[in-house]
Amino acid sequence: MTWVTWRQYRYQGALAAALLAALAVVLLITGLHLAQVWHSALAGCMKDGSCGGLSLQSPALTTLVVGTSAVPLLPGLFWGAQMVAHELETGTNQFAWTQSITRRRWLAVRTGWLLLAAAVLAGAVSALVTWWSGPGNALYGNAFEVNKFDVTDIAPVGYAVFAMSLGICAGTVLRRTLPALAITLAGFVGIRALIAQSLRPHYLTPVTVYYNLMGPPPVTGSYLGVSQGVVGPNGKPPVGLGGYVFNGGPVPAACANAVQNPAPCMVAHGYREYLAYQPASRFWAFQGIETGIFVVLAAVLLGITFWVLARRDA
Amino acid sequence: MTAVIETSGLTKRYRRVTALSDCTISVPEGRIAALVGPNGAGKTTLLRLLAGLATPSAGQAVVLGGPPRQDPAYLAEIGFLAQDIPLYRRMTAQDHIGVGAHLNPRWDGESVPDRLSSLKIPLDQPVGTLSGGQRAQVALALTLAKRPRLLLLDEPLAALDPLARRNFLAMLAEAAVGGNLTILLSSHLIADIERVCDHLILLAASRVQLCGDVDTLLAEHRILTGPRRDTTVIARTHAIVREDTTPRQTTLLVRLTGPVADPAWAVADPNLEEIVLGYMSQDDPAYGAGPEAARLSAVGGDR
Repeated sequence: MTWVTWRQYRYQGALAAALLAALAVVLLITGLHLAQVWHSALAGCMKDGSCGGLSLQSPALTTLVVGTSAVPLLPGLFWGAQMVAHELETGTNQFAWTQSITRRRWLAVRTGWLLLAAAVLAGAVSALVTWWSGPGNALYGNAFEVNKFDVTDIAPVGYAVFAMSLGICAGTVLRRTLPALAITLAGFVGIRALIAQSLRPHYLTPVTVYYNLMGPPPVTGSYLGVSQGVVGPNGKPPVGLGGYVFNGGPVPAACANAVQNPAPCMVAHGYREYLAYQPASRFWAFQGIETGIFVVLAAVLLGITFWVLARRDA
Repeated sequence: MTAVIETSGLTKRYRRVTALSDCTISVPEGRIAALVGPNGAGKTTLLRLLAGLATPSAGQAVVLGGPPRQDPAYLAEIGFLAQDIPLYRRMTAQDHIGVGAHLNPRWDGESVPDRLSSLKIPLDQPVGTLSGGQRAQVALALTLAKRPRLLLLDEPLAALDPLARRNFLAMLAEAAVGGNLTILLSSHLIADIERVCDHLILLAASRVQLCGDVDTLLAEHRILTGPRRDTTVIARTHAIVREDTTPRQTTLLVRLTGPVADPAWAVADPNLEEIVLGYMSQDDPAYGAGPEAARLSAVGGDR
């Protein structure tokens, strides 16, 4: 069955390898250049604090790197969605499933190799991007940001495994390639966005710091902000006067006389700002949790796939 | 003789329709059995149930000593050729031989080029570029290379021209020599299958109308022709399958239970097609309903 899988997917595999090689060439050349600039410029700008002005990345390349967040989706979209559905559409499943091999085994071997291929592809691209982003992330301290976290380290492997499982499951349940493709696309984008925006900031209880109104938060390095705002001495947000806003919250009633510049009044009344965040030290824990969630989702989808394929008529 | 296929009350219901109802048949080992019946009679459903591609809603099938199932040992024993001959269109016959070699324990890969070379079918062209007849030959050769004990073919002749049909049936008949291979094939082309088949199963309206040895069926049926008259007398001794009356003449297809005693009837031997059409038209309102008794007594007529 491994041979059969290879025979059917070798051209797609070659195409994927070629695209990966092209991306690797671009990132290697520009990445080596970045590393060189970083090392030569670092010594100078660190002394006088002008590193913020150091321009490391061109917009086109940054777009390319952010665009690699689509890479984990592609194998699931193009190989996964049609894996079972195309066989059902052309009737070739009747040929395949009347050879001396059970449907379960047919599905297991194929799924196994495609999952591996997707994981390797996403892992390779992620490794390249991680290496390429190293200097930039160190400079800007933004490894935890959505466009960085999602394209580096191990999370893309989890996404790829999820996308492949989603594609295979959708194709098996819907029995047609095109709807399966649409579901895979929508499902992947939707669930990724939902988890990144709503779930990820709350994987662990955030750390909260308090600091002076209008002051910079006493947090350095790459962190993931969860929430930010103003609280009074009782630890609660100010209860406002209608219409007047300060730092995203209402101006407290006690400072009704100073709505134009309420900060000194609010400081006098014990108001301060807080930031709830996930510190940089949790980066790997978050990568692990995120990957784990997508791997578990993939396992559920594959469970459904096996169940449906074994139960339903071919 | 042991039965390779034995079903009892086999039924397949889909959400709204019943595709096969209470199907009880038996096919002895070594036979080439024809599965005939009008479109939508349940032929494909029956073949798919026997191949293990579908599961019955009720009743049971015993094929080669056990129920059709997802099991490599069972699947190795059966060869299935689906309607429309599905093969991987971009792969060559040679590629398919490789696929078969990796998926089957008793694979006889060399038999495929042997069978196809005499028909001048190229092994190195994508099968999607072959003609329908050539594709059917490739698919049959691949199915035979599994060395199955039971071959299930769903309308393999439908897309073939008369010459390709002859070649296909010749390959089939050759494979059946030796008597270990049992074949069940569905077809509309009764004249063609009459030449190779020695067993007949007639499905109509999702039910088995007739199942038995072809020679026995031929011997048991007669066409009686005589002046128009009441048929209740003859119906008392023989089962009338079908009755056609014109103002002057009555023609009956009967299943005999003894000699025809009344000399007023001219007795003739029907061919297989006439018998099949006689049973098939029982349920066709255009011909009027045939006597129920004949159909019921015909079921399970194999000795």
